[in-house]
Amino acid sequence: MAAKKHSTARRVFLIGTGLIGGALAIGTTLAWRRVANAQTFKPTVKAGEVAFNAWLKIAPDNTVVVQVPRQEMGQGIYTMLAMLVAEELDADWSKVRVEQAQINPVYGNVTALADSAPAAMQAAMTTTARVLGVQMTGGSTSTRDGWEPMRMAAASARNVLLAAAAAKWGVPATELSIEKSIITHTKSNKRAALGEFAQAAATMPVPPIAIPKAQKDWKLLGTSPPRLDVVEKTRGTAQFGIDVRPEGLLYAAIKHIPFVAGTLHEVRWSGGAAPKEVLHQVRGENYLAVISTSYWSAQKALKEVTLVGGGPSGSVHSSAQLAAQYAEVLDGKAVVLKPLHRTFGKHGDAEKVINAAPEKQRIDAEYSVPFLAHAPMEPLNCTAQIKDGKVDVWVGNQAPTAVLWLAAGNVGVPEENVTVHTPYLGGGFGRRVDLEVIRQALACAKVTGGKPVQLIWSREEDIKHDAYRPAVSARMSAALDDKNGVSAWHHRMVGPSVGKSVMGRMNPLAAGDFPPDKTNAEGAAELPYAFANFKCDHAQVDLPVPLGYWRSVGNSYTAFFVETFVDELAVALKKDPYLFRLELLKDQPRFAKVLDAAASAAQWSAVLPGSGKGWGRGIALAESFKSIVCQVVDVEVVGKTIHVRRVVTAVDCGMALHPDNVKAQIASAAIYGLTAALKGKITFNEGIVEQSNLHDYALLSMAECPAFETIIVDSGAALGGIGEVGLPPIAPALGNAISAATGKRLRALPFELS
Amino acid sequence: MPTQFTLNAKPVTLNAPDDKPLLWALREDANLVGTKFGCGIAACGACTVIIDGEAVRTCATPLSSVAGKQVTTIEGVTATGASVVQRAWVEHQVPQCGYCQAGFIMATTALLEKTPDPTDAQIDAAITNLCRCGTYPAMRAAIKKAAQLKKASA
Repeated sequence: MAAKKHSTARRVFLIGTGLIGGALAIGTTLAWRRVANAQTFKPTVKAGEVAFNAWLKIAPDNTVVVQVPRQEMGQGIYTMLAMLVAEELDADWSKVRVEQAQINPVYGNVTALADSAPAAMQAAMTTTARVLGVQMTGGSTSTRDGWEPMRMAAASARNVLLAAAAAKWGVPATELSIEKSIITHTKSNKRAALGEFAQAAATMPVPPIAIPKAQKDWKLLGTSPPRLDVVEKTRGTAQFGIDVRPEGLLYAAIKHIPFVAGTLHEVRWSGGAAPKEVLHQVRGENYLAVISTSYWSAQKALKEVTLVGGGPSGSVHSSAQLAAQYAEVLDGKAVVLKPLHRTFGKHGDAEKVINAAPEKQRIDAEYSVPFLAHAPMEPLNCTAQIKDGKVDVWVGNQAPTAVLWLAAGNVGVPEENVTVHTPYLGGGFGRRVDLEVIRQALACAKVTGGKPVQLIWSREEDIKHDAYRPAVSARMSAALDDKNGVSAWHHRMVGPSVGKSVMGRMNPLAAGDFPPDKTNAEGAAELPYAFANFKCDHAQVDLPVPLGYWRSVGNSYTAFFVETFVDELAVALKKDPYLFRLELLKDQPRFAKVLDAAASAAQWSAVLPGSGKGWGRGIALAESFKSIVCQVVDVEVVGKTIHVRRVVTAVDCGMALHPDNVKAQIASAAIYGLTAALKGKITFNEGIVEQSNLHDYALLSMAECPAFETIIVDSGAALGGIGEVGLPPIAPALGNAISAATGKRLRALPFELS
Repeated sequence: MPTQFTLNAKPVTLNAPDDKPLLWALREDANLVGTKFGCGIAACGACTVIIDGEAVRTCATPLSSVAGKQVTTIEGVTATGASVVQRAWVEHQVPQCGYCQAGFIMATTALLEKTPDPTDAQIDAAITNLCRCGTYPAMRAAIKKAAQLKKASA
């Protein structure tokens, strides 16, 4: 049977290549290979369910059950990926549900890995990604990655369902149609639900190829059906990692040494020994975890303990010191930090032109952003059980395959003895890529004699021991030409590599300086603006601070540097910031259209409220994750207080498959970015993070939230991401608005008026 | 010492230390996990329940302090069928990650009992919970919708 499936898959592949010609065939064939593999893997079925391929089951009650191999953390991916399948089957949306897919290489996120590689290595990375098959959610890739294989697999299931109906009714399959999960043969007036043919269809040979519907035939995609997770999230019944309750559950609380990195030397209990509520103590490299029958009693016990540890070696004793060290690197006289210099983008000779420019035609500016914590609302947690050679892990993590590998290796059991359960994630934002809490929960589960244990980090531990968005400093230089334009642009940055830090924690052997971490300079290495001479340099430094992917990653700071400096150039040239950008986009109609859409919706030239006193309007544009976003911010400055009043966004993500969710994600990412722009700051003193909870690492509140208006520019271009793209332009648009309101140019985040 | 109170319209006795926060008593001793832990310092409101008509953050509320009181959690709201607040929440598709939502729904339920037709300023003053996904724009619309639904059903 296996051999037959294999040969079918190969036949499918060969016929597939034969049937369609030209460029389409190449792209389609690559996607089809994933579908062919996915035809041979079937998810576990419950009684009466029929599995068609890796992504689709049909239940006896006609429910279409979609296997979603990505994690739902608020971005709406359960709904979006189910829509891809439902569209091809013309399924009744009220009869579609999702299940978190098992871990299998067929579900690997190929796009995420390919996106992470430098351009020259993308083909090789794509091949590697297919073999590794890592299920992970990040980089705004989930829909892009599922786009072809999931629709093609669903289309092939549609074909066999129609073939089964045609055989039963003795009519040609071409005369059949499906509407709301009902197959109809109009001529003979026959109607039956999809599910009635599921058993028969699943035994039929898979037709050679199935092309998904053309956009003009879509009924569901491009509309905004209700999200599949909203009702249970409103009823309070949605299960998050912290809610799982396996039989006999124990709880663990954790305390790390005060330093952001380093080693635990000594555990000192105030009463000489741990309180009696503590059943077990687990000592790790830089932490102590205690296990009790209640999380609260475990947490309370930790108040009685002092951890003596050694701090990080190297830099970052204090934030002020680090800023000075960054400045030294930019001055080219680094003493403490040993930078690795790389050029991420170059055309012409920007340095030569800038150095030759007369002083009045040269503009320089320095910018900086701080470390940031993610602060998802659900504190980190992981539940683990090791019993009879089997391991169960319940955790909301963005990379379940990595959890599987970690658990198998850490406990020393074969992968098939490990089950990773992925409930809803109470926010991800990149925080839940990190595996540390899983390693710690496994350490706890090793001492409980087979009982499950739930480890929960307090908010204080999360703020003080996150894997942070790095602090980065930039120096920007430009030369103006005699025709009132910009002749050269030189962007220099200094900061650490997130990728190197993440890989170093996963597998120290895999962490190196090659390939270059393109997130270092993403959003700055290539700009849509027409600068005759251009260069983007990055000086990568090693810091002892653990770093992580933070919503929009490198774009979260590069857009601030780039778009603030563009604004400064407009001011220097006495040009309107919107018209100046438009002029620089003369060869980039797609960008220009988005810029125009935002400016027009915001009535860019209209007078601000209160005849403009204390008010300002700013604009910024950024491309990230293959989507283009322009934001116009209206701000009111009262004394030193910055009130963000309105955010108008135009977004071109190629195709808006669920327009309401596109708008929700734009506002979501912008609000995340406004928290960073107005409040976000992790600082160090003596190697210890100075903030500790949501009172001193504050988040934007409802009262501070501006009005949002979002315009979708449907360009029909290839799909772009949507979960992160609303973030990059928000800080510069706000800063540019503050500058317009006050005449003060703020070049460091978070914005503080003095 | 056991604490007796009314939980979601039923009398209960929880055998837990007096100083155990109500949040953890609900989650561990009453096995009601809809009320969430977010910060432990009453800053985020994910743990909000209604005690004698007031929205209260339970991570900083000792169990013993609710003796003899009426406590309603998200499970209590859901048990009586979709409330006007929950219906408005679904209509406006408010939740994203969803973790903070029960707290907001409880805070809104308490607000509308006292202020049936809240202005934006009253919403700002009363709903000080935190949502990291930034569902505030949809939430504000849902609060106003819930007020309308409540008025219509009164």
